[in-house]
Amino acid sequence: MNATTTLSNRRGFAGYIDDRPADRVFRVDRAIYNDPNILEAEYRNIFEANWVFLCHEAHVRNPGDYFATHIGRQPVFVVRKPDGTLACYLNACGHRGATLVTKRVGNAKEFICPYHGFCFDTAGKCTAASAAKTGWSEQHLDLAEFDLTPIARIDSYRELVFGSLSGAVPSLREHLGAATALIDIFVAPAPQELEIVAGFSIYETRCNWKIMHENGPDAYHAPVVHNNFAQAVSYREKREARAGVTRTDTGRLTGRIESASYDLGNGHTAFWHKRRDPEAFPIYAQRDELSKRFTPGQMEWIIGRGRHMTIFPNLLLNDLASTHLRTYRPLGVDRMETVIWCIAPVGEPKDMRAARLRKFEDFFLPSGMATPDDVAVAESAHKASFAFDSKWTNMGRGMDFKIDGPDAAARELGFTPQASSNSWDHEIAMQGVYRRWREMMERGEERLRG
Amino acid sequence: MADLALTAAVTEFLYREARLLDSRQFGAWLDLFCEDAIFWVPAVGMDRAYTSEPETSLNFMYIVGRAGLEARVFRVESGGSLASNPLPYTRHLVTNVTVDSDGPEGIAAFANTQVVAFCEPRGQQILNGSCEYLLRRQDKRFRIASKKVLLLEYVIDGYFDFFTV
Repeated sequence: MNATTTLSNRRGFAGYIDDRPADRVFRVDRAIYNDPNILEAEYRNIFEANWVFLCHEAHVRNPGDYFATHIGRQPVFVVRKPDGTLACYLNACGHRGATLVTKRVGNAKEFICPYHGFCFDTAGKCTAASAAKTGWSEQHLDLAEFDLTPIARIDSYRELVFGSLSGAVPSLREHLGAATALIDIFVAPAPQELEIVAGFSIYETRCNWKIMHENGPDAYHAPVVHNNFAQAVSYREKREARAGVTRTDTGRLTGRIESASYDLGNGHTAFWHKRRDPEAFPIYAQRDELSKRFTPGQMEWIIGRGRHMTIFPNLLLNDLASTHLRTYRPLGVDRMETVIWCIAPVGEPKDMRAARLRKFEDFFLPSGMATPDDVAVAESAHKASFAFDSKWTNMGRGMDFKIDGPDAAARELGFTPQASSNSWDHEIAMQGVYRRWREMMERGEERLRG
Repeated sequence: MADLALTAAVTEFLYREARLLDSRQFGAWLDLFCEDAIFWVPAVGMDRAYTSEPETSLNFMYIVGRAGLEARVFRVESGGSLASNPLPYTRHLVTNVTVDSDGPEGIAAFANTQVVAFCEPRGQQILNGSCEYLLRRQDKRFRIASKKVLLLEYVIDGYFDFFTV
């Protein structure tokens, strides 16, 4: 028995988080990154017990469009029904449980199981069983026995589609809470809707999912881990004498800039930083049109600030180097999958779209000049999580500067975080993630105990 | 009938390119490229088809101009990139070389590659590619005007870079 198991037995999940605000201490027991029992409990108490991100509505725009994904361990698929609403079913045939939808995306009027040929409509009803007449007498054939299992809840906010395997959850809007204002400001500037740009990326990382999740709200690492990115693109852009939107704003990586970060509640986080070079972003070209629709305060949020948010437990949305939608899931205690898309306004001028894509490729891909370093550092942190005797990961930075509730910028946009902080490199937001983690894990274990 | 002498010359050139990468002579490798060279590794769509319109779709890499490749070399040699430090060793296997055309635009050639990379933190990584080259003759030597790599593996284990494809 290692020390962790003892701790967990004695104090429950609270024992993994050393949370003492009065003493300016916030620490996380590194065992949470490598204990397989904790992952099992996370599947049960977090991923399979509350809202998780599934896909964007643009992935399933037309009737019959489907999108296969997972909620925690469980395979599911989202489908657009003929009436335009979305449904989500466990991706297992109602007969013998073969995987029903074998492609990531597609379009179908009906789903035919590849194993025994059972048919299902988009409402999840079993419409036919192969050779039914020779297998069941008429009075015992009830196709409804084979109907697909729907997930308990599906809903979307600003076209971000979420689902929950548990029905005992608040509304999606309540779950997102303060994050809705930041999602709004991400979406609202687009003259029409947002679309998912063609092409995507999946990469597997040899670390616990929480280490990569922490990397999202963590801007503290950027000037260290991504200094080489800033230098490489600066070299390129000097050599090519780049101008306007083809430039890269590396100000955020090379010096101190005005910024803030937020614990949005429910484990969601956000930060922003002042853009040193706002002209380097495609949205700058729309500023005149946008200034007719938005207040000067909102314009500062849209044009003047790079923005980033994480929605616990599996969504990241940001407008930093480019506009980026990311979801992830654990594949094991020491392995995770990340899926990323570039998300952009429909009808964007071609040169702006190309600039957005090149920025995305420069930074966010596993073949880019920044993400590989994030992966490498996350994998090295996972290895070091086995240093049980040093025990604690420290997340106390910035506690002396914490503001309870909103700061001026949050008030301007009209959202009320749990806490604000006057720097994006503080760890206040991460504390909110782990308080939510503790709450969900404890609540889940209470349910188990009945 | 294929021009076997040309095929042999192109094959020799591709072998030399591979050798420069494997021996980490990245400066000499850059000298194989035209100033306006394109280095392109398409991504795939959700339907698993390779992306084909770089202006409107996402790619693993779409680098236009030698300076973009120089920036990549600069980064991996800087020592500041944790993913490139230690720099993985590679072995490029180049096969199935065919010359598809020889016209005013240049020589269109094809090769399959298997690149085995190894470094201590991550162990072995294998990436299989189909490479489409456009070569120009400059100063009695070939220069790469464009190199497009269609990767077999689109679920990436960790990360990759210009020298591991």
